[in-house]
Amino acid sequence: MQRNERILYALVTLLISTLAVTGILLEGPWQVIRQTLSLQTESARLINDFTRYGVGTAMFNAATIGALALILVYYATVSLSGPTLSAILTMMGFAFFGNTLLNSTPLIMGVWIASKVARKTFGSYSLIALFGTALGPLVTQIMFHVGLPLGLSIPLALVSGLAAGFILPAVAGAMLALHQGYNLYNVGFSCGFIGLFAANLLIATKKMQPLSIQWSDTFSLPLFLLVPLISLVLLVTAMIVEKPQKSLQGFLAIQKLSGRLPYDFFDTGYYGGTLANIGLLGLLYWAYVLVVGGPINGPVIGGIFTIMAFGGFGKTVKNTLPVLFGVVLSTLLFSKNLNAPGPLLAALFSTTLAPIAGQFGILAGLIAGAVHLVMVEVTASWHGGLDLYNNGFAGGLTASLFIAILQWYKTNRPKEDFTT
Amino acid sequence: MKRKEFLGRLIGEVTNFLLEGNPLRLVVSLHQESDGAHISFFDDRPRSEEEIARIYQALNPKQSRPELAEYYGLMAGHDMAWDARLKLIGWQIKHASVDNSDSGLRIDLWLGGDAFNPDNFTLKKKP
Repeated sequence: MQRNERILYALVTLLISTLAVTGILLEGPWQVIRQTLSLQTESARLINDFTRYGVGTAMFNAATIGALALILVYYATVSLSGPTLSAILTMMGFAFFGNTLLNSTPLIMGVWIASKVARKTFGSYSLIALFGTALGPLVTQIMFHVGLPLGLSIPLALVSGLAAGFILPAVAGAMLALHQGYNLYNVGFSCGFIGLFAANLLIATKKMQPLSIQWSDTFSLPLFLLVPLISLVLLVTAMIVEKPQKSLQGFLAIQKLSGRLPYDFFDTGYYGGTLANIGLLGLLYWAYVLVVGGPINGPVIGGIFTIMAFGGFGKTVKNTLPVLFGVVLSTLLFSKNLNAPGPLLAALFSTTLAPIAGQFGILAGLIAGAVHLVMVEVTASWHGGLDLYNNGFAGGLTASLFIAILQWYKTNRPKEDFTT
Repeated sequence: MKRKEFLGRLIGEVTNFLLEGNPLRLVVSLHQESDGAHISFFDDRPRSEEEIARIYQALNPKQSRPELAEYYGLMAGHDMAWDARLKLIGWQIKHASVDNSDSGLRIDLWLGGDAFNPDNFTLKKKP
């Protein structure tokens, strides 16, 4: 293991430990364990803010999910770098409003079975397995919320999770071809596609309750300070592992990258610059939430964690801002509130489309962001909130539309025809 | 992955890259064995040492990345409208060499399964 990878392991372990210890300190060990066990039975469909059950509980749950992901990356013998770091932090973010150990494990097992059937190593499918936990609500919805006896619902839920995980590598590969890597949450797009079928099956059997938004507005100092503290640790680390001037140069060089999948920023040689990019993205979007008057709750923390997660794998300050402004303009155009749950989460998660701004410019990013808001507000109902990465689903649809049009335009330029 | 699809993706991506240079001539040569394959690409556009080093680096990553190769590697050779990305190939092959031949650029790719035997091919021994 190289020095840079060891530093990343240390940083992620520090984050997981801090969340676990803070969670225990806030609510006491027995209360945290009891509440975390109770969380496992939640349906976890969008939007279910786990901080409503206790900020310490949500933090401890995020720590357990982070530990699971980190252990899987280690034993899958894949390097902890931009892509794997993005998966771990995204899962931890979504553990504030959806992911639990119980609903994540069957999906990971399903992808593992697929890897065995395809005669690949689990490491080859590790990213799909980790991001595939976006379909976690499918497991807990069937297990605890369809009104069947547990003796029947538990095996049914486990089989459903395994089956969804099993088909995920096939679907994820096909979905990549649609948007050509311009939607960073590709597995979210794939999970939304699978979720469409699963949700409609549940609706047909009258086992699906309407969606509701469980959203906390309560102020919590530990949650409020979480993102700026992580960002500061990353910025200080960036200045320690490399000379500050080199980190700054690296940060500026990264801003020139399009971010189209798969772009591991740690591979560019700008290690400190990448850490600085992650830290600054965290501070920037945390500040955005405060400026628009949004609460720092579970889903918002999940959104900021996901932005930071992709700070080493596709997102830069430069390529995310046009998409953010697109969402803001669309929100204002349709007379919505910037701090309402839908527009606020869309502003954070819309950065899945950052590569469009990175490749095609500011105007393309603005339009993509504006279109994204319109889409994302309805797509959750299509898959019944079973796909936690709803913005990945909506982003995939938006990116596929953009790429289809741009590809058609690019392949029909008369000046490149053979002369007659 | 079926061999035909795999070869098609690799050939497609490298061809996409070479066509970006708008060559007048482009030749692709394939030699298959049961455990591996060797693909050569020739065009008529010589490159600078700096360009050759950059191409070599993209095709010979410092470490294996199975998590990227099997998943994102599926994008290789799929779209010809956008910029070619040689690193998608680098993760999926055993070795690549890049040189200026008499007429232009020459890229050699060696690929195969775990049983790949380099002795079946004209693969130069690593120093």
